[in-house]
Amino acid sequence: MTSRERVLAHLEGRPVDRLPLMPITMMFAAVQTGARYRDYCTDYRVLVEGQIRTAEAFGFDYVNTMSDPAREAADCGAPVEYFESQPVALIEDQALLADKTKLASLKIPDPLGGGRMHNGIKALALFKERVGKDKIIEGWIEGPIAEGADLRGINTLMMDFFDDPPFVHDLFAFVIELELRFAREQLKAGADVIGVGDAAASLVGPDIYHEFVWPYEKKLVDGIHALGGKVRLHICGHTRRILEGMGKLGCDIVDLDSMAPISEARQKMGPHTILLGNLNPVSVLRNGNPADVTAAITECHQQAGTPFIVGAGCEVPRDTPPENLRALCAYAHTHQP
Amino acid sequence: MPDLKELYEAVVSGNAKATQAITQQALADGVDPLKLVNEYMVPAMDEVGRRFEANEYFVPELLISARAMKASLEIIRPILTARGDKPVGRVAIGTVKGDLHDIGKNLVASLLEGGGFEVIDLGVNVSPEKFIETVNSRQANIIAMSALLTTTMPSMKTTIDALKQAGVRDKVKVLIGGAPITQKYADEIGADGYSENAVGAVALAKKAVAAA
Repeated sequence: MTSRERVLAHLEGRPVDRLPLMPITMMFAAVQTGARYRDYCTDYRVLVEGQIRTAEAFGFDYVNTMSDPAREAADCGAPVEYFESQPVALIEDQALLADKTKLASLKIPDPLGGGRMHNGIKALALFKERVGKDKIIEGWIEGPIAEGADLRGINTLMMDFFDDPPFVHDLFAFVIELELRFAREQLKAGADVIGVGDAAASLVGPDIYHEFVWPYEKKLVDGIHALGGKVRLHICGHTRRILEGMGKLGCDIVDLDSMAPISEARQKMGPHTILLGNLNPVSVLRNGNPADVTAAITECHQQAGTPFIVGAGCEVPRDTPPENLRALCAYAHTHQP
Repeated sequence: MPDLKELYEAVVSGNAKATQAITQQALADGVDPLKLVNEYMVPAMDEVGRRFEANEYFVPELLISARAMKASLEIIRPILTARGDKPVGRVAIGTVKGDLHDIGKNLVASLLEGGGFEVIDLGVNVSPEKFIETVNSRQANIIAMSALLTTTMPSMKTTIDALKQAGVRDKVKVLIGGAPITQKYADEIGADGYSENAVGAVALAKKAVAAA
């Protein structure tokens, strides 16, 4: 089977020759080309080269366009900081919606308007041209609370849930429209799967998650499906309290961070959800040895059961020893779901 | 005289207007400001920390409680300073150079303040020089550093080395935390303490000042 056939078959519940392998790499991938991380974030050709080299060197089944959380916010006009060797980051004390009345006049940027979103879309087109026959191509967007936090300032948004609930609903509705437009262009450019990163969802409890976040995540997931895309959900951090809701979103892949027990995710999300993850990317993958990695991914697989995709709990850290990543990949290469 | 139990309740429920009003009324009625802090606010923030640890409270709840506490402390602190009352300790806190992720740092800062510490919040992307300057100019006796990224963690070691070079390492206890940090890393770089969560950080800071 090609990588592409394998992942698509697994997503559709058909038999596969081995476990699919889809770890998140960003800074690690940039290192494979010797590029500055700043260039990886801002030049799609550098990103594509890094992803393809990494996927080929380690036998990944996919490539992705994720580099930092700030593409959409930057195009909306939010001040961001570019670092030489780290992801682009939002400058919170200059948050675009520090004055929330500005939301009413905020325009959704054109994803093809020559900004950072457009750069990500160009990466997808180049992926399609170079590896589209073999690999799964994954785009990336931010979820409602993650993007809401990028626009409003994360600390302020956390208090908005109590101070001004109607504003939060308006903000998240804006975000969903923005993200669905971005997703549509990504799918047109060649993405098979849209990754949705909604990191800040792990900061709120189940009450706020269900009242404010889940309904918009659901709209996003349903919207991507209506556009013909598959969805991979990734929420960084401790998601134990919201696992059940995450399972009910109907995502094609739930990519779990290492803090939430994957056995509990299986129990809460049912037998059909495809779980991905979730060994600790720092203490095991970066700081451990190959034997630690094999033991940890074996345990994850046993706890998750089938269907399952191999990956770490979050991004493979930049200075992960290659032999550790190889051990993770070897597990996928030699095991059935 | 207001019912001071309401001050406790207002902090726990995150009602800043109420904490401010009760504090003003209590002070006008001649209540000792230190009594408000020690008997109501500190126990209230202890309760908030307990609920956070027990997964009954999450980041939003903790932040609004912290805001309610600060609304009262803003009134009380100048009075305590004017009469020469000393805080439990003075903490200079910030995310390290290159790291803009501050939610964890803000939680720790709030709980430290709730624990009776004076907190000098240096914000995000704090250079070693800025930490050193704060030790010298504000007599901070604890430095608390946070990093979310594995790529910014090394700034913690850079800062500790800079403290040594500046000759102020012995004046402060250095505490560190953040998602990728471990006790092993804290030991390797010569930090005085590590906590994996915000509640633990307060206990650690109290231990650090007691040992000093």
